[in-house]
Amino acid sequence: MGKKDKIAIPKQKTRWNVYFKRYWQLYVMLALPLIYLLVFKYLPMRYIILAFKEYKLNTKLWDMPWANVKGQTDYFKYFKTAFGNVDFRRALWNTLKLNLLDLIAGFPAPIIFALILNELCFKRFKKVVQTIAYMPHFLSWVIIASLVTQLFAPTEGLINMFIAKLGGTPIPFLDVPRNWVATYIGTGVWQNFGWGSIIYLASIASINTELYEAASVDGAGRFKKMWHITLPGIRPTIVVLLIMNLGHIMGGGFERPYAMKNNLVMEAAEVIATFTYKVGIQQLKISLTTAVGLFQSVVGLFFLLTANWISRRLGERGIW
Amino acid sequence: MKKKLLSVLLASAMILSLAACGDKTTSTSSTETGVSNTESSVSEEVKSDEPDARGLLNGKFVDTREISVELYDRNVDGGTEAGDNAWTKWIQEQMLERYNVKVSFVTVARWTEGDDINNLLAAGTAPDICYTYSYPTIQTYANMGGVLDLAPLLEENKDLVPSMFEWLGESLIYQDLDPNAGTLWAIEGKRNETCRINTFVRKDWLDKLGLKEPTNRAEFEAMLVAFKDNAETLLGADAAKMVPFSTSYDIGWRAANLIESFMDPAITDKELYVNGYDDRKFTENGTKEAVRVLNKWYNDGLIWHDFAVYGEGDTTEDDMIKAGFVGAFMHNYDYPFRGGKDSINATLAGLYGEDAKFVAVNCFEDKNGKYTKYRYSESGDRKVFFPATNDEPIASLCYLEFMSDPAVVEFLQTGEEGVIHTIDAATGAVVIQQPDDAHHDWYQNSGKNIDMTINCNGLRLSTEALTNLSLAYSYSDVDPADVQAAIEAAKLDSVVPKTPSVGDIAAETEATDLKGKRDQTFDKAVTAAVADFDSVWDNGMTEYLAAGGKAIADERLSAWEATYGSETMLP
Repeated sequence: MGKKDKIAIPKQKTRWNVYFKRYWQLYVMLALPLIYLLVFKYLPMRYIILAFKEYKLNTKLWDMPWANVKGQTDYFKYFKTAFGNVDFRRALWNTLKLNLLDLIAGFPAPIIFALILNELCFKRFKKVVQTIAYMPHFLSWVIIASLVTQLFAPTEGLINMFIAKLGGTPIPFLDVPRNWVATYIGTGVWQNFGWGSIIYLASIASINTELYEAASVDGAGRFKKMWHITLPGIRPTIVVLLIMNLGHIMGGGFERPYAMKNNLVMEAAEVIATFTYKVGIQQLKISLTTAVGLFQSVVGLFFLLTANWISRRLGERGIW
Repeated sequence: MKKKLLSVLLASAMILSLAACGDKTTSTSSTETGVSNTESSVSEEVKSDEPDARGLLNGKFVDTREISVELYDRNVDGGTEAGDNAWTKWIQEQMLERYNVKVSFVTVARWTEGDDINNLLAAGTAPDICYTYSYPTIQTYANMGGVLDLAPLLEENKDLVPSMFEWLGESLIYQDLDPNAGTLWAIEGKRNETCRINTFVRKDWLDKLGLKEPTNRAEFEAMLVAFKDNAETLLGADAAKMVPFSTSYDIGWRAANLIESFMDPAITDKELYVNGYDDRKFTENGTKEAVRVLNKWYNDGLIWHDFAVYGEGDTTEDDMIKAGFVGAFMHNYDYPFRGGKDSINATLAGLYGEDAKFVAVNCFEDKNGKYTKYRYSESGDRKVFFPATNDEPIASLCYLEFMSDPAVVEFLQTGEEGVIHTIDAATGAVVIQQPDDAHHDWYQNSGKNIDMTINCNGLRLSTEALTNLSLAYSYSDVDPADVQAAIEAAKLDSVVPKTPSVGDIAAETEATDLKGKRDQTFDKAVTAAVADFDSVWDNGMTEYLAAGGKAIADERLSAWEATYGSETMLP
């Protein structure tokens, strides 16, 4: 960085022209995703300003008054309201907790699965297993949640009926907060490990096979090869995905907690996404939930940048 | 090289996005103003050549007006398209003929109506006539400038709505008038059937076990125990599926008879109103002890164990009741009769013979030994409001007048003779049946088309006597005698609450998720271990009050005192 770039700058204009003339087809292709980003990611961003305004119906965004308490302008009114709200604080904590557990349980699963698949010699079996493992990814959370209820309901769930038939005591999978969290995390891992492994398998496939041959010659066994060749080979992929996942630590989908929650476990199941829906959409407190959303994004960005910085410090590439 | 190319691309993307961003905003805003300009000029043009200032000649618009009306879509199995069927066409024809007003329907899903209307309002595309059951919701819209003030509109156009004034009366129409601001954001509808909740038991099970219908709580509990102990006799191979008493996550509704029997029978109107924000009696004095009874039943294995796992709209419990595994439940006073061939009683009769049915019983006595229970207030049902985007408020008022016309309501409820109703030869009662396949377009997607008769909930025939006579006959495929018995059970010792008119309560729009907190507390308290019951209930209640419950009660108290002074009962 630094010196080199400074010299390069004056030349950029001509290069840009040259590149554009030579590769214009590629630029045209690039236009499509750029327009997508523009329309769906950048344009809506102007509504962030709602976090600092009083939302009004039938009023243009710029005409809405600034957030105020009895006429006294207070731009951060809704941030204060949010942090003063017990439900929000609980949702914040649950979001962090569930996402962290998801990361701990869910992040290594596809890597391990990819490593195991990679060791399989019988190709057809490998393909079948792979396809079956992908499948849950294509089910919506609404369907998965009803499957979970059918399987894990306190007395009428298939598993508890089975336990009861064998003379055991049914396990409250869904009606005790701690157990619910375990069910929630487990279901998430189940849904995602197959799909998540694709990228690692692709990454493994790109490792030079000569390395394995050389290792075999040197007398390395399966685990040695896995440890010294495969894992280092996919390390950049792992790091990039880890950074991206850390960016989501404050985010997380709406569907999964919303579909899986029930009244007995709300203290563990309310996350920011469901809180935003309940308060913002159902009660039309749009300024408040925009503030929550903005806070969420800023924290997410902070995590992403920190993780990226650490990874670069440790000698990995980072995501840019 | 690569890096530079990338950075150039990113930079250009940024510039492009910013430029386009600016462009887009200005262009949309200019089109927006363009649209509103043309609209206002159009309405001015219309006004220039009209007989009276409102464009009406002999009560009919000279130029065709267009309004849109909200309509619930219940997505009924075997029903018709909610916004396009014989009924909606009939309304459209009639409105065009009477007022020269073109009506279009905007359907919103029944169970997410609140969310849908929120979105429509936020997008500025809400129908001209909206309705919802929750007044605080409308108040929230009004605070955001989203609702038309109906007070001046009614003032100026009272001559257009005589039927509405006759049907609803001054007090109901102006019930939501804010005494301080003078604003009227919504017009309340009227309930013509006020029965609310009944306790139902399986008659054939009682007979099989030689038991009498329970008449007090102890007998009810003994009956549940008997169901449980005799599961083999009653269900044979399915004995493990026995559920003596079933309920849902909505305990406040599904145990209402029990909860209300624990209230003080001498409660004042004032107290009822102050705690009346919650329609599940959550904060009433006796509720905790009532729920303690449920907690005991739950821990004794008398209540469906999995009830709290299923949420709103789930049919698991209904399926269980229809399959015949349930001995007793509390629900809407007519619940086993709803749904024609698919109703609970019709299904049970089909599976286990005519004797298998649920009958209503009274068995929850208050401390005076009466079966006190609360019915719906007559005043106040759905609340109709006009969003601020309504540019045809007068034509919209005409629609409300149309819907208040007794002949219109009667037709919407009972249709043509031979198509969806017949006259019972013996009694002269109007018997409502869903239409046959040839007339399927006349299928009523909501019972008696209540979704269309927006300011009338309940049967309203030409005379009150005929209405009362026909009530029991308005359910197809079930025994009218059972319905009549259920109506009488629901009325016995019942109280029809009065609704005070004290203006807007601001705290009601500020609280967050009180309903959720209430249901969670109910559910957790019922399922708690007996020893934990007190702490679970008290914690839940504390959180509920802190989240806005207390603020609402306090504001209601001072609003009452501001209006009625030291009076504790309504006139």
